[in-house]
Amino acid sequence: MGERGAEGPERTGPIPYVERSRAYYLAQGYGNPYNWAFHEDVPFAPLAKPLAESRVALLTTAAEYDPALGDQGPWAAYNASAKFYRVYSRPTDVIPDLRISHIGYDRVHTSAEDMNTWFPLAALREAEDSGRIGEIGPRFHGLPTNRSQRTTIEQDAPEALARCREDGAEAAILVPN
Amino acid sequence: MSLIARHLEANGIPTVIMGCARDIVERCGVARFIWSDLPLGNSCGRPFDVGSQRTILGMALDLLESARAPRTTVQTPYRWGLDDAWKDDFWRVDEDPERMARQRAEFDRQKAIAAERRKEAEC
Repeated sequence: MGERGAEGPERTGPIPYVERSRAYYLAQGYGNPYNWAFHEDVPFAPLAKPLAESRVALLTTAAEYDPALGDQGPWAAYNASAKFYRVYSRPTDVIPDLRISHIGYDRVHTSAEDMNTWFPLAALREAEDSGRIGEIGPRFHGLPTNRSQRTTIEQDAPEALARCREDGAEAAILVPN
Repeated sequence: MSLIARHLEANGIPTVIMGCARDIVERCGVARFIWSDLPLGNSCGRPFDVGSQRTILGMALDLLESARAPRTTVQTPYRWGLDDAWKDDFWRVDEDPERMARQRAEFDRQKAIAAERRKEAEC
Protein backbone atom coordinates (compact mmCIF):
# COMPACT_ATOMS: atom_id res chain seq x y z
CA MET A 1 0.00 0.00 0.00
CA GLY A 2 2.84 2.35 0.76
CA GLU A 3 4.64 4.57 -1.67
CA ARG A 4 8.35 5.01 -1.84
CA GLY A 5 9.93 8.08 -3.33
CA ALA A 6 13.07 7.86 -5.41
CA GLU A 7 15.22 7.71 -2.30
CA GLY A 8 12.85 8.25 0.60
CA PRO A 9 11.34 5.88 3.14
CA GLU A 10 8.03 4.12 2.70
CA ARG A 11 5.04 6.34 3.52
CA THR A 12 1.36 5.56 3.77
CA GLY A 13 -1.68 7.84 3.89
CA PRO A 14 -3.72 8.88 6.92
CA ILE A 15 -4.78 6.06 9.26
CA PRO A 16 -8.41 5.10 8.47
CA TYR A 17 -9.54 5.33 12.11
CA VAL A 18 -13.24 4.89 11.36
CA GLU A 19 -12.69 1.61 9.49
CA ARG A 20 -10.09 0.44 12.02
CA SER A 21 -12.35 1.01 15.01
CA ARG A 22 -15.20 -0.88 13.36
CA ALA A 23 -13.01 -3.85 12.49
CA TYR A 24 -11.38 -3.87 15.92
CA TYR A 25 -14.54 -3.82 17.99
CA LEU A 26 -16.29 -6.30 15.71
CA ALA A 27 -13.33 -8.66 16.15
CA GLN A 28 -13.72 -8.24 19.90
CA GLY A 29 -17.31 -9.41 19.61
CA TYR A 30 -19.21 -6.14 19.93
CA GLY A 31 -22.18 -6.06 17.59
CA ASN A 32 -22.77 -2.32 17.33
CA PRO A 33 -19.77 -0.40 16.01
CA TYR A 34 -19.50 3.23 17.05
CA ASN A 35 -21.25 5.53 14.62
CA TRP A 36 -18.85 8.44 14.10
CA ALA A 37 -20.55 11.77 13.47
CA PHE A 38 -21.13 12.68 9.84
CA HIS A 39 -22.35 16.02 8.47
CA GLU A 40 -22.88 17.21 4.94
CA ASP A 41 -23.06 20.90 5.79
CA VAL A 42 -20.43 22.75 7.79
CA PRO A 43 -21.00 26.12 9.49
CA PHE A 44 -18.37 28.80 8.93
CA ALA A 45 -17.74 32.03 10.82
CA PRO A 46 -15.10 34.45 9.49
CA LEU A 47 -12.87 36.40 11.87
CA ALA A 48 -14.60 39.65 12.81
CA LYS A 49 -11.32 41.56 13.18
CA PRO A 50 -7.60 40.94 12.75
CA LEU A 51 -6.19 38.12 14.85
CA ALA A 52 -3.70 40.56 16.37
CA GLU A 53 -6.70 42.30 17.97
CA SER A 54 -8.69 39.16 18.80
CA ARG A 55 -9.14 37.29 22.04
CA VAL A 56 -8.49 33.59 21.49
CA ALA A 57 -10.06 30.78 23.54
CA LEU A 58 -8.40 27.41 24.12
CA LEU A 59 -10.47 24.22 24.48
CA THR A 60 -9.09 20.80 25.41
CA THR A 61 -10.23 17.24 26.06
CA ALA A 62 -7.43 16.76 28.60
CA ALA A 63 -8.15 16.36 32.33
CA GLU A 64 -6.60 17.99 35.37
CA TYR A 65 -4.22 15.67 37.18
CA ASP A 66 -5.80 14.31 40.35
CA PRO A 67 -3.56 12.04 42.46
CA ALA A 68 -6.66 10.33 43.85
CA LEU A 69 -7.64 8.91 40.46
CA GLY A 70 -4.92 6.35 39.79
CA ASP A 71 -2.13 6.28 37.23
CA GLN A 72 -2.48 9.19 34.82
CA GLY A 73 0.86 8.92 33.18
CA PRO A 74 3.21 9.37 31.52
CA TRP A 75 3.03 5.78 30.21
CA ALA A 76 -0.33 5.16 31.93
CA ALA A 77 -2.70 2.49 30.66
CA TYR A 78 -6.17 3.66 29.70
CA ASN A 79 -7.71 5.02 32.91
CA ALA A 80 -11.46 5.58 32.88
CA SER A 81 -11.33 6.77 36.50
CA ALA A 82 -9.80 10.00 35.23
CA LYS A 83 -12.75 10.74 32.94
CA PHE A 84 -14.95 13.75 33.67
CA TYR A 85 -18.48 14.54 32.57
CA ARG A 86 -18.88 18.27 33.04
CA VAL A 87 -17.21 21.14 31.24
CA TYR A 88 -14.56 22.72 33.48
CA SER A 89 -12.70 26.02 33.17
CA ARG A 90 -9.40 27.14 34.65
CA PRO A 91 -7.34 30.35 34.42
CA THR A 92 -4.79 30.62 31.62
CA ASP A 93 -2.33 32.71 33.63
CA VAL A 94 -0.94 29.58 35.30
CA ILE A 95 0.29 26.53 33.40
CA PRO A 96 -1.92 23.64 34.56
CA ASP A 97 -1.02 19.97 34.86
CA LEU A 98 -3.24 18.27 32.29
CA ARG A 99 -3.21 14.57 31.43
CA ILE A 100 -4.76 12.36 28.75
CA SER A 101 -4.84 8.95 30.47
CA HIS A 102 -8.64 8.89 30.03
CA ILE A 103 -8.30 9.12 26.25
CA GLY A 104 -7.59 6.44 23.65
CA TYR A 105 -4.36 7.87 22.26
CA ASP A 106 -1.59 5.78 20.71
CA ARG A 107 -0.04 4.10 23.76
CA VAL A 108 2.32 1.95 21.74
CA HIS A 109 4.20 4.87 20.23
CA THR A 110 3.40 7.77 22.53
CA SER A 111 4.41 8.17 26.16
CA ALA A 112 2.39 11.31 26.97
CA GLU A 113 5.40 12.86 28.70
CA ASP A 114 5.21 16.32 27.16
CA MET A 115 1.93 18.18 27.80
CA ASN A 116 2.76 20.61 25.00
CA THR A 117 1.91 17.89 22.47
CA TRP A 118 -1.76 18.04 23.50
CA PHE A 119 -2.15 21.42 25.22
CA PRO A 120 -0.55 24.33 23.32
CA LEU A 121 -0.74 27.02 26.01
CA ALA A 122 3.04 27.63 26.03
CA ALA A 123 3.09 28.18 22.26
CA LEU A 124 -0.04 30.32 22.47
CA ARG A 125 1.63 32.51 25.10
CA GLU A 126 4.51 33.09 22.69
CA ALA A 127 1.98 34.13 20.05
CA GLU A 128 0.44 36.55 22.54
CA ASP A 129 3.82 37.96 23.56
CA SER A 130 4.83 38.52 19.94
CA GLY A 131 1.54 40.25 19.11
CA ARG A 132 0.41 37.54 16.69
CA ILE A 133 -2.87 37.34 18.64
CA GLY A 134 -4.56 40.05 20.68
CA GLU A 135 -4.73 38.01 23.85
CA ILE A 136 -5.45 34.59 25.28
CA GLY A 137 -8.88 34.20 26.86
CA PRO A 138 -8.84 34.43 30.68
CA ARG A 139 -9.73 30.74 31.01
CA PHE A 140 -9.24 27.52 29.09
CA HIS A 141 -12.11 25.07 28.90
CA GLY A 142 -12.03 21.30 29.38
CA LEU A 143 -14.54 19.26 27.40
CA PRO A 144 -15.72 15.75 28.31
CA THR A 145 -15.19 12.97 25.79
CA ASN A 146 -18.68 11.51 25.75
CA ARG A 147 -19.54 8.46 23.75
CA SER A 148 -23.03 9.97 23.38
CA GLN A 149 -23.07 12.60 20.63
CA ARG A 150 -26.44 13.70 21.94
CA THR A 151 -24.89 14.62 25.28
CA THR A 152 -22.12 16.52 23.50
CA ILE A 153 -24.57 18.43 21.32
CA GLU A 154 -27.28 19.10 23.90
CA GLN A 155 -25.22 19.61 27.05
CA ASP A 156 -21.52 20.27 26.44
CA ALA A 157 -21.64 22.37 23.23
CA PRO A 158 -24.04 25.00 24.63
CA GLU A 159 -21.99 25.07 27.85
CA ALA A 160 -18.75 25.60 25.89
CA LEU A 161 -20.37 28.38 23.85
CA ALA A 162 -21.71 30.13 26.95
CA ARG A 163 -18.27 30.05 28.60
CA CYS A 164 -16.50 31.30 25.46
CA ARG A 165 -18.99 34.17 25.30
CA GLU A 166 -18.52 35.02 28.99
CA ASP A 167 -14.81 35.22 28.23
CA GLY A 168 -15.37 37.49 25.23
CA ALA A 169 -13.69 34.99 22.90
CA GLU A 170 -13.46 36.07 19.26
CA ALA A 171 -11.81 32.90 17.99
CA ALA A 172 -11.18 29.45 19.42
CA ILE A 173 -8.54 26.74 19.17
CA LEU A 174 -9.82 23.24 19.89
CA VAL A 175 -7.57 20.26 20.51
CA PRO A 176 -9.03 16.74 20.46
CA ASN A 177 -6.74 13.85 21.33
CA MET B 1 -14.43 18.21 19.82
CA SER B 2 -15.49 18.59 16.17
CA LEU B 3 -19.12 18.83 17.31
CA ILE B 4 -18.16 21.60 19.75
CA ALA B 5 -16.31 23.48 16.98
CA ARG B 6 -19.37 23.25 14.73
CA HIS B 7 -21.56 24.70 17.48
CA LEU B 8 -19.19 27.62 18.06
CA GLU B 9 -19.01 28.32 14.31
CA ALA B 10 -22.80 28.21 13.96
CA ASN B 11 -22.94 30.85 16.70
CA GLY B 12 -20.39 33.20 15.19
CA ILE B 13 -17.10 32.15 16.82
CA PRO B 14 -14.45 31.13 14.27
CA THR B 15 -12.58 27.96 15.22
CA VAL B 16 -9.60 25.87 14.27
CA ILE B 17 -9.09 22.23 15.25
CA MET B 18 -5.58 20.83 15.80
CA GLY B 19 -5.64 17.06 15.43
CA CYS B 20 -4.26 13.75 14.17
CA ALA B 21 -7.37 11.70 13.27
CA ARG B 22 -8.01 13.10 9.83
CA ASP B 23 -10.91 10.90 8.76
CA ILE B 24 -12.82 11.33 12.02
CA VAL B 25 -12.61 15.14 11.98
CA GLU B 26 -13.35 15.50 8.26
CA ARG B 27 -16.24 13.07 8.44
CA CYS B 28 -17.81 15.22 11.16
CA GLY B 29 -17.08 18.32 9.09
CA VAL B 30 -15.35 21.37 10.58
CA ALA B 31 -14.51 24.84 9.37
CA ARG B 32 -10.70 24.76 9.78
CA PHE B 33 -8.45 21.81 10.55
CA ILE B 34 -4.69 21.57 11.09
CA TRP B 35 -3.80 17.93 10.53
CA SER B 36 -0.57 16.31 11.70
CA ASP B 37 0.24 12.80 10.50
CA LEU B 38 1.40 11.81 13.99
CA PRO B 39 0.16 9.22 16.51
CA LEU B 40 -2.94 10.19 18.50
CA GLY B 41 -1.83 12.25 21.49
CA ASN B 42 0.39 14.58 19.45
CA SER B 43 -2.11 17.05 17.98
CA CYS B 44 0.13 19.99 18.84
CA GLY B 45 3.52 18.63 17.77
CA ARG B 46 6.21 16.11 18.56
CA PRO B 47 7.26 15.53 22.19
CA PHE B 48 10.02 17.87 23.40
CA ASP B 49 10.25 19.39 19.91
CA VAL B 50 9.37 22.99 20.68
CA GLY B 51 9.99 23.98 17.07
CA SER B 52 7.27 21.65 15.80
CA GLN B 53 4.89 22.80 18.54
CA ARG B 54 5.50 26.45 17.72
CA THR B 55 5.10 25.91 13.97
CA ILE B 56 1.88 23.90 14.26
CA LEU B 57 0.28 26.48 16.56
CA GLY B 58 1.41 29.17 14.12
CA MET B 59 -0.20 27.28 11.25
CA ALA B 60 -3.44 27.08 13.24
CA LEU B 61 -3.41 30.84 13.80
CA ASP B 62 -2.65 31.47 10.12
CA LEU B 63 -5.58 29.28 9.12
CA LEU B 64 -7.98 31.24 11.34
CA GLU B 65 -7.22 34.21 9.12
CA SER B 66 -6.76 32.62 5.72
CA ALA B 67 -9.58 30.09 5.36
CA ARG B 68 -12.24 31.37 2.99
CA ALA B 69 -14.65 28.47 3.31
CA PRO B 70 -15.41 25.54 5.61
CA ARG B 71 -13.69 22.13 5.34
CA THR B 72 -10.30 23.77 4.92
CA THR B 73 -7.68 21.23 6.00
CA VAL B 74 -4.00 22.08 6.13
CA GLN B 75 -1.38 19.36 6.71
CA THR B 76 1.67 20.05 8.86
CA PRO B 77 5.07 18.81 7.62
CA TYR B 78 5.91 16.59 10.60
CA ARG B 79 6.50 12.84 10.54
CA TRP B 80 6.80 10.44 13.44
CA GLY B 81 9.73 8.33 12.40
CA LEU B 82 11.87 7.05 9.60
CA ASP B 83 8.90 5.17 8.17
CA ASP B 84 5.16 4.81 8.78
CA ALA B 85 5.25 1.35 10.38
CA TRP B 86 3.76 2.81 13.59
CA LYS B 87 0.47 3.24 11.76
CA ASP B 88 -0.13 -0.53 11.66
CA ASP B 89 -0.24 -0.85 15.43
CA PHE B 90 -3.24 1.26 16.37
CA TRP B 91 -6.48 -0.71 16.87
CA ARG B 92 -4.72 -3.74 15.45
CA VAL B 93 -6.73 -6.94 15.59
CA ASP B 94 -4.61 -9.45 17.48
CA GLU B 95 -4.41 -12.92 15.90
CA ASP B 96 -4.29 -14.52 19.34
CA PRO B 97 -7.86 -15.01 20.66
CA GLU B 98 -6.67 -15.11 24.26
CA ARG B 99 -5.00 -11.73 24.00
CA MET B 100 -8.10 -10.32 22.29
CA ALA B 101 -10.25 -11.72 25.11
CA ARG B 102 -7.97 -10.08 27.70
CA GLN B 103 -8.22 -6.77 25.86
CA ARG B 104 -11.98 -7.03 25.77
CA ALA B 105 -12.18 -7.87 29.49
CA GLU B 106 -10.08 -4.82 30.31
CA PHE B 107 -12.20 -2.68 27.99
CA ASP B 108 -15.40 -3.85 29.69
CA ARG B 109 -13.87 -3.17 33.10
CA GLN B 110 -12.94 0.39 32.09
CA LYS B 111 -16.40 0.92 30.61
CA ALA B 112 -17.97 -0.04 33.94
CA ILE B 113 -15.69 2.45 35.74
CA ALA B 114 -16.67 5.15 33.23
CA ALA B 115 -20.37 4.43 33.77
CA GLU B 116 -19.84 4.74 37.52
CA ARG B 117 -18.03 8.08 37.08
CA ARG B 118 -20.84 9.33 34.88
CA LYS B 119 -23.46 8.41 37.48
CA GLU B 120 -21.48 10.25 40.17
CA ALA B 121 -21.27 13.33 37.95
CA GLU B 122 -25.01 13.33 37.37
CA CYS B 123 -25.90 13.16 41.05
